[in-house]
Amino acid sequence: MKLECSVEKIKKALSQVNRITGKNLTLPILSSVLIIASKKLFKLRATNLSLGIEIEIPANIEKEGISVIKGDLLNNIFLNIYNDIKVSIEVIKDNLYIKTKNNKIFIKNYPNEDFPTIPIISGESFTIKSTDLIEGIKSVYYSASLSDIKPEISSIYIYPEENNLVFVATDSFRLAEKKIKTKKTEDFTGVIIPFKNTVEILKLFNETEGEIKVCFNKNQISFSHNGIYLTSKLIDGIFPDYKQIIPKNKNTEAITLKQDLLNALKLSNIFADKFNQINLNINPKKNIFELTSKNIDVGENKTKIEANTKGDDININFNHKYLLDCFQSIYQDSVSLQFDQENKPIIIRGARDNSFTYLIMPMNK
Amino acid sequence: MLNNKQLWDNCLVEVESSISKANFSTWFKNTHILKEESGTIFISVPNEFVKDWLINKYHKLIMKTFREFSDYIKNIEYVVSKQEIKTRSLSFPNKNEFTTNRELPLQDLYINKEDNLNPRYLFDSFIVGSFNELAYAAAQAIVNKKSITYNPFFVYGGTGLGKTHLIQAIGNKIKDKVKETGVVKKIKYLTLEKFSIDYVNSVQNNKTNDFKEKYRGYDVLIMDDIQFISKKEKTQEELFHLFNSLYEDNKQMIFSSDKHPNYIPNLEERLKSRFSASMIIDITTPDYESRLAIIKSKLRDINFLLPEDIVDYLAFSIQGNIRELEGSLNSVICQTQLKNRDLSINEIKGLIKNNIKPKKNISIKDIVKVVSDFYSINESSIYEKTRRKEIVKTRQIIMYLLREDFSISYPLIGQKLGGKDHTTVIHSCLKIKKDLKNSNLLNQELDQIRALFSI
Repeated sequence: MKLECSVEKIKKALSQVNRITGKNLTLPILSSVLIIASKKLFKLRATNLSLGIEIEIPANIEKEGISVIKGDLLNNIFLNIYNDIKVSIEVIKDNLYIKTKNNKIFIKNYPNEDFPTIPIISGESFTIKSTDLIEGIKSVYYSASLSDIKPEISSIYIYPEENNLVFVATDSFRLAEKKIKTKKTEDFTGVIIPFKNTVEILKLFNETEGEIKVCFNKNQISFSHNGIYLTSKLIDGIFPDYKQIIPKNKNTEAITLKQDLLNALKLSNIFADKFNQINLNINPKKNIFELTSKNIDVGENKTKIEANTKGDDININFNHKYLLDCFQSIYQDSVSLQFDQENKPIIIRGARDNSFTYLIMPMNK
Repeated sequence: MLNNKQLWDNCLVEVESSISKANFSTWFKNTHILKEESGTIFISVPNEFVKDWLINKYHKLIMKTFREFSDYIKNIEYVVSKQEIKTRSLSFPNKNEFTTNRELPLQDLYINKEDNLNPRYLFDSFIVGSFNELAYAAAQAIVNKKSITYNPFFVYGGTGLGKTHLIQAIGNKIKDKVKETGVVKKIKYLTLEKFSIDYVNSVQNNKTNDFKEKYRGYDVLIMDDIQFISKKEKTQEELFHLFNSLYEDNKQMIFSSDKHPNYIPNLEERLKSRFSASMIIDITTPDYESRLAIIKSKLRDINFLLPEDIVDYLAFSIQGNIRELEGSLNSVICQTQLKNRDLSINEIKGLIKNNIKPKKNISIKDIVKVVSDFYSINESSIYEKTRRKEIVKTRQIIMYLLREDFSISYPLIGQKLGGKDHTTVIHSCLKIKKDLKNSNLLNQELDQIRALFSI
């Protein structure tokens, strides 16, 4: 193998690919990156057997070849190469030579026949704007369950509904749902992507623009865009039928400024007990919207917030961390909180925005 | 000949010796043989990555080792299949955190999205007694495809008698058969209401063709609660066309309703006749023995023991539908657990007194309304002095029911129904009684009407 390419491009590609290498797995070769030089293209590949990634970068290839290098090692080398524009990479016998204007490095080359291929998906496909995909995932991923006991809910569920693509995640204590408008309706039954993998999708496509091509079959999904190919396994399961638990009645509604509520929550946080429990009291007749938190060791706090309230009185306890989480997905200045009964989930939405719905289960008093 | 498990174990031993340990444990962990079919072995693998790599790298090796054990194997297919859930030895690390937090009630909702069937409804849990044995036998015949004469299959009966259970069990059983035989069948269970909403949506979005195509593609269509079709004219028309198209293609259709199709009000004649041509079977209320069997099977399911005499008493005293029976049983179990001792018969009497059917508190007006609705007659005409034939008949039936089922005195009945003489009422009751002996249809009609009262 012999080739020449831009340092910046290879730096960026390496940092992306290296994240997906397998850490502490039984097969050590998975912590490596496979580099392929063929025809006009230079490819970097890595996989942890749950995710696989392949990035193509333009290069001037003199001799084709394949090589396997420890991912961390290669990444560290390139992170510390400054002030150079071009790099040449060459394999001579068992060594890999990296040459720039100022540096000359050689590292050990591993045999490549044990490095696995990554699946190429053929199946149903559609395209989605990368900003839409990112927004969808970003709006809900923090609600997914962190435990592996139930793989269906330590995941994000994505399915089409009329003119929307719906993203849902829940850890069974709270639930986030985001609807993203799409140009046309896609017809598929829905996919369940492991939450850990969606974090990587977020990081990888966060700054890209344009359309991402999505392909999937029963077990696997792939995202491709501009020389980047990412594939993830899917969870073969059924996402809970969450629509049934969204309360249909709203007996009480309160609309308040997001910033006010946020400030109040931060103050309450100081006094919250170890269950992060705070109490919310709403009395529309007296126009009261009041947060109380209590901690035997510290003290007690009561904060009143200006709010537009209507409906019945309600007094409800919940985990304030869950409420804080959802503000990252609400872009409006005011938020609306809706209540059915004291033992039914609270619904939180941005004012006049129905695309995002957040549910929190109240706590026992 | 070796069975699949032995074959794969032998094969794995060979493979293990020829590749590195790291490679072996990464690629061959969690694999097993799914099945063997005419020389092709299907190997289950945990994900696409493994599938890809086995095909690319180890296929030759696996093939070679297979050949050593048996020479009939010609081909290997790799199938990604769901992993068995690990044993739940993991406990929550921070138990305290979870005690006060209530969970969103997400659990028990595991209805399959594609066919909409609830996997809880199975034939195994379906109790057969004289009240439903015919329906059960027909359902079995449909599943086993003994004949196509049971198409369409129409089952009717009061609420809470197991209609939904039966028809969903048919769907689930056919689905199981699909797995065995490999013949793919598209099954769909839905309620009529869903069908109607679907139709309205498709009209709104200008997608009626998609709608038609979707429903015509099903091999087995199960539709629940057909009675709600009354007055939905466009839905009736759509169902009519769907019915014809599925019938022509010999696709199985299964319907349930709380009434005989002839008595579904405002049902178009052509649909009525089509339903009537189907295999119509009713489910009645369970007899004492069946109720006993149902209670016992419920107790077995939840692993709970109740003394014989209590079980007996429950079966004897709750004569309504099965849902009520379950409800009473649950409250008895709950109380037993709470008090941590067996309950006495007297305590149980107190517990279930609300579930034992008292004579209904229905006013005469209500009865007139139900019966006149049933015969699609204007309620007020009952009270008028008209002698139109259909009204006279309805009025007589009302009188008969008031006398027989609600023990109201003849003069009072006469007075309430527009000032009739008590002898008129006596005559009416006798006439209906006589007609009942001769007319099966009238018998059925009365059963239907009585079922309406008990809702």
